[in-house]
Amino acid sequence: MMNMLLAFENLSPMNGEVLKASLNILWQGLLAIFIVIGLIIIAVSVTTDLIAKGSNYKAKHGDISIKKIFKKK
Amino acid sequence: MDYLIEGLNALTPGQAVMWLIGGLLIFLAIKKDMEPALLLPMGFGAILCNLPLSPVIGESGIIKSLFEVGIEASEAMPLLLFIGIGAMIDFGPLLSNPKLFILGGAAQFGIFITIILAAMIGFPIEDAASIGIIGAADGPTAIMVSQVLKSNYTAAIIVVAYSYMALVPIVQPAVVKLCTTKKERLIKMQYTSNQVTKLTRILFPIIVTVIAGLIAPESLSLVGMLMFGNLIRECGVLQSLSETAQTTFSNIITLLLGITISFQMQAEAFLRLETLVIMALGLFAFVFDTIGGVFCAKFMNLFTKNKINPIIGAAGISAFPMAARVAEKMGIQEDPSNHLLMHAVGVNVSGQIASAIVGGLIIGLVL
Repeated sequence: MMNMLLAFENLSPMNGEVLKASLNILWQGLLAIFIVIGLIIIAVSVTTDLIAKGSNYKAKHGDISIKKIFKKK
Repeated sequence: MDYLIEGLNALTPGQAVMWLIGGLLIFLAIKKDMEPALLLPMGFGAILCNLPLSPVIGESGIIKSLFEVGIEASEAMPLLLFIGIGAMIDFGPLLSNPKLFILGGAAQFGIFITIILAAMIGFPIEDAASIGIIGAADGPTAIMVSQVLKSNYTAAIIVVAYSYMALVPIVQPAVVKLCTTKKERLIKMQYTSNQVTKLTRILFPIIVTVIAGLIAPESLSLVGMLMFGNLIRECGVLQSLSETAQTTFSNIITLLLGITISFQMQAEAFLRLETLVIMALGLFAFVFDTIGGVFCAKFMNLFTKNKINPIIGAAGISAFPMAARVAEKMGIQEDPSNHLLMHAVGVNVSGQIASAIVGGLIIGLVL
């Protein structure tokens, strides 16, 4: 297998530096994508909740104001 | 009379082989209906660019100029195509069940694992990363990443990316069946169409753009264009622009993109043994993307009450909307009353966003 790969003129198999860089891309990339996804899920859920809260309040009171929504009854 | 055979004399065997490859792409596009909008212009372009003394690729030739302006200078064409794609996507099914986003992220696993394999085989990191992005199953992202990273194999990567996208209905069912049990494939998922408000739909593209921009700024060109297209669709006051972006605009860009990409399909750059390795690695990326999505669904089932059918995990590879259709078809094959389409669409569109983000992340991590 190794001999076959060496037949490809532009390839240098098992280059330690390139391997290290690719492993860095793996963990840093996966970490970043799941952080982004996590934040998007949280942001979407919060937005949906707030909009639902606002709609409920509007339906009940006909008037919408941020202060009133969060005011304790 | 020498001028009459000047072209014939200049013909190289490599160019003749490229005509055959061009012919094959045209055949696949017309006869097999494999991504015809891209493969047909690319096939014709491969012939056009490999005619001896072809002026279209010479100094100030039309295809060379299109390539330099539309792709090389700013990656404008693939990015503009993302506006059209964004305008086509309805994120409603994803917004109804945002946790499906996790599957879209997991289905990018094949990209990373392929980068490692390509690095082990001996590709320089720029080329390895560009080859891995074939697993994004997203043509514009593959073009953008391989161009920005100045890969030596751009043409092969793009041809392989589009070819495998067309092979999703063949590759994915086999992999999903290998990774799941019959019982898992029979899991029924209730689709409760939670009313997604217009305000949520409008805020979503803005939220995604801001978060992606803050955590992975390099992904902003791709994600920004995608979300801009979606905002045009969802805002409700730009119907005419939205329709244009979805149809005429996308068609024009696709048409130009295909023929422009063929500039990279010149015999000396394309006909290399490495192209065969890239084809194998592309398949590897698709397979491991599918495995990533399926196993993530199985993992999530360990902690959730409402079980997820792992078939929909496979739809997390971008390939929109084909991957979602494949998941629906597989679900129906197992149980005719088991409709997974809406869930699969949710996962599929999340894969579209995730692949664009991963494309940007990889550019940032390599450069």
